[in-house]
Amino acid sequence: MGEAYVITSGKGGVGKTTTTANIGTALALMGKKVVLIDADIGLRNLDVVMGLENRIVYDLVDVIEGVCRLKQALIRDKRFEGLFLLPAAQTRDKNAITPEQMKKLCEELKQHFDFILIDSPAGIEQGFKNAIAGAGKAVVITVPEVSAVRDADRIIGLLASQEFSNPLLIINRLRSDMIKRGDMMNIEDTIDILGVDLLGVVPDDERIIVSSNRGEPAVTEGSSLAGQAYRNIAKRILGEEVPLIDLEEESFFEKLQKLFSKNKKRY
Amino acid sequence: MIEQPVVFKGTRNGLRIYVAHSVQLAEVLKGTAEKLKKGKPFFEGATVNLSFIGRKFHPEEQIQLIDLFSQYMTPGTVEFKEEQLPAEQKDPLAEDNYNSFEGIEEGMTRFVRGTVRSGQRIFYEGNVVVIGDVNPGGEVIAGGNILVLGILRGIAHAGATGNHNAIVAAYSLRATQLRISGYITRAPEGETETPSYPELAFIKENQLFIEPYLPGKGKPADSVL
Repeated sequence: MGEAYVITSGKGGVGKTTTTANIGTALALMGKKVVLIDADIGLRNLDVVMGLENRIVYDLVDVIEGVCRLKQALIRDKRFEGLFLLPAAQTRDKNAITPEQMKKLCEELKQHFDFILIDSPAGIEQGFKNAIAGAGKAVVITVPEVSAVRDADRIIGLLASQEFSNPLLIINRLRSDMIKRGDMMNIEDTIDILGVDLLGVVPDDERIIVSSNRGEPAVTEGSSLAGQAYRNIAKRILGEEVPLIDLEEESFFEKLQKLFSKNKKRY
Repeated sequence: MIEQPVVFKGTRNGLRIYVAHSVQLAEVLKGTAEKLKKGKPFFEGATVNLSFIGRKFHPEEQIQLIDLFSQYMTPGTVEFKEEQLPAEQKDPLAEDNYNSFEGIEEGMTRFVRGTVRSGQRIFYEGNVVVIGDVNPGGEVIAGGNILVLGILRGIAHAGATGNHNAIVAAYSLRATQLRISGYITRAPEGETETPSYPELAFIKENQLFIEPYLPGKGKPADSVL
């Protein structure tokens, strides 16, 4: 039986799709069977980020409406063994499916895959409800900005009301130079407000944009710092203890590490 | 002359609506609608006796008013009294706390386990104790006192039904906005030192004070409590 994770944030543009693509690819590279579901019906992106756009024939809505079989809609990523994508429909909207249908679909996929990663749309409406319906665990993405943290807080509250008692947090696009100048919220402040377990911190990295445009997830690039962070996140999902990446000099690293272990104990 | 065209006053027997004599109906309706909108969670689903005091209303005007109230609550008995407004109505905040929640010293209390997050709202007639934080965007509204055993970063409204003796206390008081009864303060602009000791907010001499829990705790030696 596989595990279904929903990747969500509330706020748009914080990196849900990129994170889904990268964690999924990293898990596949580690030998797991993974399916990525794009739940952002009407605004599909995950296929583009994965570089699989031109292979879409059927989509999520087709499967749910019975137009095709589930197997026909799953796109196998030829570059990575065991990685599949279930794309969203572009011509429909969030109301094309219901949470119950999503739940049923995920149950079916769990039989065949180790991990199901559901890329949630922004917002807290129908699309969000669909995305979380089939998931057993939730990963909340935020960036170190007050508005994004506020939305993440709202999402964590909504998740709690849907019985996701302990969502995991990824802080994306962290800039250690800005934190040093005191211009950006640091990891500690963010966790202090949200009060959930930290799954990882992804540094701001230009190469993410390049790799997203190319349709090649950054985890495949050995030199990318963000790619490294995503590989670490995948390892943590698999239960390994991996310290946070050293983003700056020693003292900062120690601080992060301390924080990570403290955080683990506290929550 | 009162500044507001309409003043609501909750009493044990229902709602008293004081209306100044000189105001036009349109203004009365507007003022009333605003107040009702603000107090929507207060009134929702409740059956409330209404008594209109002050300005004279013609029957058709009365119907309009009752219609407006019906959108927010179920009106019980309705009466219209044409009389002089009592002088004390000048300051609706300074009157008796006749119908406000009185269990400040001891009274019914709701305990909230866990953090009140953005978009969540706790509303309770009595005292509220939050065992957790109140995050920015979260609201706690209580008829009595509010105690936060954590960091208060959101909005707290103690004595919401009119009791000025209500207090707000928090392990760390960093509220974006604090309200007690009808008094509102907000966090000072810009970067300020946040004290590392628990604090207490209360009203004294028509002003909202924030002080350490106990004299001697924290810094100011002259704190009166």
